[in-house]
Amino acid sequence: MRLFGKKDVPLDGDASGRFLPWLVAIMVYLAALALISALTMSRAVGHWQEGLSGTLTIQVPQEQGGEKAGAALDRILKLLLTTPGVREAKVMEPDEIERLLQPWLGAAASLAELPVPALVSVTFNPAAEPDFGVLAREVAKISPEAVVDTHRAWLGKVRSLARSVQWVALLVVALITGSAILIVTFATRMGLSVHGPVIQLLHLIGAHDSYIASQFQAHVLTFALRGGIAGLLLAIATVFAAGQTLKGNEALLLPDVALRPLDWTVLLLLPVAVTLVATLTARVTVLRTLARMP
Amino acid sequence: MSSCGPFPSASIGGILVRFEDVSLRYGGGPEVLGGVSFLLAPGSFHFMTGASGAGKSSLLSMIYLARKPSNGRIHLFDRDVAGLTRLEAARMRRKIGVVFQDFRLLDHLTALENVALPLKISGQRDEKVRHHVAELLAWVGLAEHLDSYPPTLSGGQKQRVAIARAVVGRPNLLLADEPTGNVDDRMAVRLLYLFEELNKLGTTIVIATHNDSLVARFDHPVVRLADSGVRVDRPGRGRA
Repeated sequence: MRLFGKKDVPLDGDASGRFLPWLVAIMVYLAALALISALTMSRAVGHWQEGLSGTLTIQVPQEQGGEKAGAALDRILKLLLTTPGVREAKVMEPDEIERLLQPWLGAAASLAELPVPALVSVTFNPAAEPDFGVLAREVAKISPEAVVDTHRAWLGKVRSLARSVQWVALLVVALITGSAILIVTFATRMGLSVHGPVIQLLHLIGAHDSYIASQFQAHVLTFALRGGIAGLLLAIATVFAAGQTLKGNEALLLPDVALRPLDWTVLLLLPVAVTLVATLTARVTVLRTLARMP
Repeated sequence: MSSCGPFPSASIGGILVRFEDVSLRYGGGPEVLGGVSFLLAPGSFHFMTGASGAGKSSLLSMIYLARKPSNGRIHLFDRDVAGLTRLEAARMRRKIGVVFQDFRLLDHLTALENVALPLKISGQRDEKVRHHVAELLAWVGLAEHLDSYPPTLSGGQKQRVAIARAVVGRPNLLLADEPTGNVDDRMAVRLLYLFEELNKLGTTIVIATHNDSLVARFDHPVVRLADSGVRVDRPGRGRA
């Protein structure tokens, strides 16, 4: 038996030792999910932005006042190819449009029966982009009901949503951190009160405040790390399950929840950070409480 | 309670414990001790006697820095204790071994671990101390109880564990509050010899006791606490 293996303050038998690991596990679980949401959303927006950068789409209704859209399309293409900054402009093939619409309309739907507009896909140089206002006016002269979609409005909304998700995630993490600090402070004060006679004895035989604080730190470190790892494993399992569920539903525009190395690093640091915060809180609580004692 | 008569004019240097007109009261209650003054020289051995309630434990508690006096000044190891920081007070307590009247053993630690506690606190984590601690426990007759927990020990056994814990770090000053109250006369004398051995090695000893026959068997000065004051009786010279 190791002579110095046991804690001098018998904190392991306290009620806090039983319920605190669970609380930490729940907190880390929620914080991990919030962080994963924020990271995934941020990556998805970046991905969409990258995909749509330097492109615009022109929707031309198939029939324009009895005139076939084909003629209007030709004129629009000519206009585009003479517009400065435009690199490429092409009319999308019906099967390509069908493939894009299939996730929403189903495989059985036939484009021939639907008033699907013709689509012109335009690629331009993002560094020397055309004047979209002028372009829209010129297109309207050719086809008044044509719509020039630069995707900016949609991207703006998505970016705003992503920012909201990130702020909510940050708020969740901040609230969880605050809760962790409160819980550890309360549990530590309770421990100091319950073990008052032991602490007094340790003082009388020469223990300094930091020695007693180290006993509480060791206790908190153990349960916070244990709870943190459990919460993280649970969060990873949840993300994995969500990833499996969303697989094959890519067209729903839901972000890919597969974790990247950076995400893993952030997630793995989460229980470490919670443990650090909890341990530091225990130390500060003990030192501040003891400093007020005679 | 008044002071103990003429106060030596010696400088503080070379004096281990110096009380100057110290009084103590708990809260707004009456004085437990009043105007107490005395000196303890390094390497001295004193018994402290007095009726129950005379304030022996209270006086000792001020020496081991558990309580602050209501009035007066206390110097320990040439320092005015009023000016000590918490860290300095902790370091000073490591020089003082205390045998508490109620033992104050930690029930979740074995006898061996309880005795090793002061060494652990002072940073001695070497497992070799186990041998030293076990030897000390054997000396006080507890060789068979190294791994016993305090709740399983008798009052006398607990008292011996408490004594072993107080002396294990070879303190400069040993304060013992009724250290033989729960042991038979033979063990009491044996423990007193242990304190004398420590005293020969330079430890200053103060033993608070009711046991007048034990006091009479040893040739050491006696600090007597009474309502009329504090006086020191020196062996062979009567009242000092």
